[in-house]
Amino acid sequence: MTTTMERRGTPDLSGAFPTVAYRVREWAEKDPDRVAMREKDFGVWQEITWGAFWDRVLTAAHGLLALGVRPGDVVSIHSEDRPEWVILDIATVAIRAITTGLYPTNPSAEVEYLLNDSGAKVHLAEDQEQVDKVLDLGPDAFPVLEKILYVEPRGIRSYDDPRLMYWNEFLELGRRHREEHPGAVEELMAQAEPDDVMTLVYTSGTTGPPKGAMLTNANAAFCMEKIINSPGRTADGVLPNPSDEVLTYLPLCHVAERIFSTWTMCSNGVRLNFAESIETVQANLREVQPTLFFAVPRIWEKIHATIHIKLEDATPFKRLVAALGLRLAAIIGRDRAAHGGDFTWKSRLAYWIGNPLFFRALKERIGLRHCRWAGSGAAPIAPEVLEFFMGLGVPVYELYGMTENSAVATCNFAHRVKLGTVGEPYPGIGLRIDEETGEIQTKHPGNFKGYWNKPEATKETFTEDGWLKTGDVGLWVDGTHVKIVDRIKHIIITSGGKNISPSEIENALKTSPYIKEAMVIGDGRKYLTALIGIEYDTVGNWALRRGIPYTTYRDLSEKPEVIELIQKVVDETNEKFSRVEQIKKFRLLPKELDHEDGELTATQKLKRKAMEEMFRDLVESMY
Amino acid sequence: MRGRPNLFTSYEEEMRLFPTTTKRVMLVVALVLAVLLPLGQLPGLRFLGDSDWLIIIDRALIFGIAALGLNLLTGVSGQVSLGHSFFMAVGAYTAVVLGADAGRTVWGLGLPMWIWLPAAGIVAAVLGILVAPTAVRVRGLYLAFVTLGLVFIGLHLWRSVEAVAGKPGTGRPWPALELALWKGDPIISFASAGPWFGIELSAQAKSYFFFLFLLIVFALLAKNLMRTRPGRAWAAIRDRDIAAEVMGVNMFRWKTQAFAVSSFYAGVAGALFAAFLGRVIPESWDLLLAVEFIAIILIGGAGTITGTLLGTVFVVLTPRIVEAVTFWMAEELANQGTFAWLADLFIRKSPDDLLGFVSTDAAGPGLSIFQLNVVLFGVLIIVFLIAEPLGLYGIWIRVRNYWKGWPFTY
Repeated sequence: MTTTMERRGTPDLSGAFPTVAYRVREWAEKDPDRVAMREKDFGVWQEITWGAFWDRVLTAAHGLLALGVRPGDVVSIHSEDRPEWVILDIATVAIRAITTGLYPTNPSAEVEYLLNDSGAKVHLAEDQEQVDKVLDLGPDAFPVLEKILYVEPRGIRSYDDPRLMYWNEFLELGRRHREEHPGAVEELMAQAEPDDVMTLVYTSGTTGPPKGAMLTNANAAFCMEKIINSPGRTADGVLPNPSDEVLTYLPLCHVAERIFSTWTMCSNGVRLNFAESIETVQANLREVQPTLFFAVPRIWEKIHATIHIKLEDATPFKRLVAALGLRLAAIIGRDRAAHGGDFTWKSRLAYWIGNPLFFRALKERIGLRHCRWAGSGAAPIAPEVLEFFMGLGVPVYELYGMTENSAVATCNFAHRVKLGTVGEPYPGIGLRIDEETGEIQTKHPGNFKGYWNKPEATKETFTEDGWLKTGDVGLWVDGTHVKIVDRIKHIIITSGGKNISPSEIENALKTSPYIKEAMVIGDGRKYLTALIGIEYDTVGNWALRRGIPYTTYRDLSEKPEVIELIQKVVDETNEKFSRVEQIKKFRLLPKELDHEDGELTATQKLKRKAMEEMFRDLVESMY
Repeated sequence: MRGRPNLFTSYEEEMRLFPTTTKRVMLVVALVLAVLLPLGQLPGLRFLGDSDWLIIIDRALIFGIAALGLNLLTGVSGQVSLGHSFFMAVGAYTAVVLGADAGRTVWGLGLPMWIWLPAAGIVAAVLGILVAPTAVRVRGLYLAFVTLGLVFIGLHLWRSVEAVAGKPGTGRPWPALELALWKGDPIISFASAGPWFGIELSAQAKSYFFFLFLLIVFALLAKNLMRTRPGRAWAAIRDRDIAAEVMGVNMFRWKTQAFAVSSFYAGVAGALFAAFLGRVIPESWDLLLAVEFIAIILIGGAGTITGTLLGTVFVVLTPRIVEAVTFWMAEELANQGTFAWLADLFIRKSPDDLLGFVSTDAAGPGLSIFQLNVVLFGVLIIVFLIAEPLGLYGIWIRVRNYWKGWPFTY
């Protein structure tokens, strides 16, 4: 594929603020024929070069102009990760408008709230499912919305809503506009200000309705400087570069995936590979073998559980090798954890033995063979899981940040890893732990501009002297590393007056491959209890091997053998905690938790208040 | 993609014949070994260079070509054919009529090999096309019967048309395997001993190189057919013909092509076989020969090139090995060697011997070696069909998957 970019007549942008769009254009000029992204389509990874990518961005930007989108307007995207997501995102920033993303799982009611709260003028709905979420609410539900773009025409062709427009039609519109007004987009790019809001990232809203955090071009630039281009992150000190492969699979509307996919791509030219869907992540991982990989704890736990299940199902000889390999991994993991993540001669020796026998093949199977940096963040993870991957030789580092500070807070740097902490603050940023409340606060150019149309909420988020209140309680470990205790509002105070952090206990429970969800309860009560959701696949597999018949999730959860199995896990976990922190009773959830049923947020976090309401009977039965 | 064997960015990449460096290296090693074999230089297996072994190996190469053809028809497109020996005979007699010199009672045009060898394939293919319409009408067992009929019609024809096939029981001489421009002296002769590039080679070794070259060409051709449109159409017909037709696979066209291609392979192999042996009696082209090919693809692994080649080597070489083992046992018994007790169980020495069942000479008591082979093939076909439907190739796949899946099982 050759580039169609015309150099003649392109306005000179030197001196303009380096927005994400500016950076994409730079890469496209420097190396138009290099592959920028791949998307799996009809079983084959179709490639898009930088030149073609920029060409489409430019056309889409003209299309937006033709649709009447002006600087400061909002464009919303409701889609799984795919090239069109990134193209429209960059195109929107190019014309100084604002992108906001919706989770593919957002139900109709939340779509209504998010579109109206942001005041989106143009909305991209991936396919019929997402289009229906908008159209179902009737023609008058969205006073500001003017156009609905769709990428997958299947099932939509017969719709006659005048607001609908097919993606190719939109690009055609853009092409005509581009011919009539050449340079119009570049003109706007040249005017970009650091203080321009480039995106609204909606908080997950575990308590109230989601709020749109405004991130500016300067925020993004600061994030790229501090997180993406911090040389201490990888063991070899090599920054992300065009030879790196990234798998894009977490929702792009979340700030973490935006940073580790789109922004890393814009700033350092890594190659994006779009996973087909969240269900195929493990298969896609194996194909792509990414070199940089970010995952949320849920994914790490899932990979961890899959490894154990598959090893248990292996033939006897393989099981024997696996038992040996896992023992070596445990030794290596413990040794590395004790030495800041580095190998000592002892763990190096164990690794040399285990690698050709077991680790290398295992890493190839889980798709992390070429992985040189892996991250875990967005939620707390159990140190045991990290230690396990460290033992296999997958360099996983936990980091911490939140939307409101562009995710710039702390990170475990290579050679100085402390498991159980979220690492050290990035050099040169302001990060303090409030003496009184123990709350972590940050102050640096990554701090967001405020919540969209919510000046009150914005004011509450900052202290009087301008520090951002993260809402997380933290501790200094050895004066350098930060350990997160919990969200302030999650801390449990028992009737005995003890302060307990539930997430630590929950994560310890979730280390077991059999447990998917755990919610510790005990605020104002005499002792702690837990609601536990089993991992359907692994427990189902376990039941199958023991010849326990079951029909549904609920049926499986109610089996006495399963309750016994979970009791054993709970007992083991209790041994790691002091008496007051032990789970006295638990109940298994009768259903799998779901975003659409209101038990989880779009990022799969528990909505604790809602859960306590919904499973009141279960909770009360334990007291 | 380097270091990422499962990342395919185009269909061409996914369909490549030798996708990995390992496979390419293995290919080169295999070629080198194949060249060393007839020179008697294969380490540990030098005896394979002896001419009595080379004759069998040459035979295996020819049978390999024919089996590849049957594999395309039966293994890939699912049309069970028992008539393969008929198409081989057609090829062989086309060759002899075109290539041999005319005699008092037989026809012959004395044309060079570059005419009679392709013609043998083409005439067989044309006959295949004529038979194909029946295959479109009938399937499964019925098609097997129709093709079985061909074998008997053929046997009758070869016996009665003496001008083509020679006298029953004696046959007629076939043209020699030699490349000539026209009816003059040959440029290259595969049928007589002599030096090539300074190395003294037997006629069998020369034929070996010629057959090996043809086998590789035919195998690549078959592989290409299998991985492109015809192969996909055939496989669709094999898996469910009605579903294939619904998806737009033209049944008539593709079944006809399958028969044509398969018969072409058979025709060429038949001509080579007869020319290699020099003289073939009409009765050779019988049902047993056809069944031998069915055995090859079933034991080797239906629908795969590697399996077909493995099956050919196995089926053609096993009788020779069984013979060698039997004679060795008889010798052990006679000399009272270490394994005499084993041989005692195996070899029938006198009519009142209860345990032994094999005899070393055809007239003796018990099974002859030939009969033992027939029994062995029967048993093997049953065992493979029940226990390992993918044949020897299936065993290989399982061994490979064991390591591919490491350290998991699935």
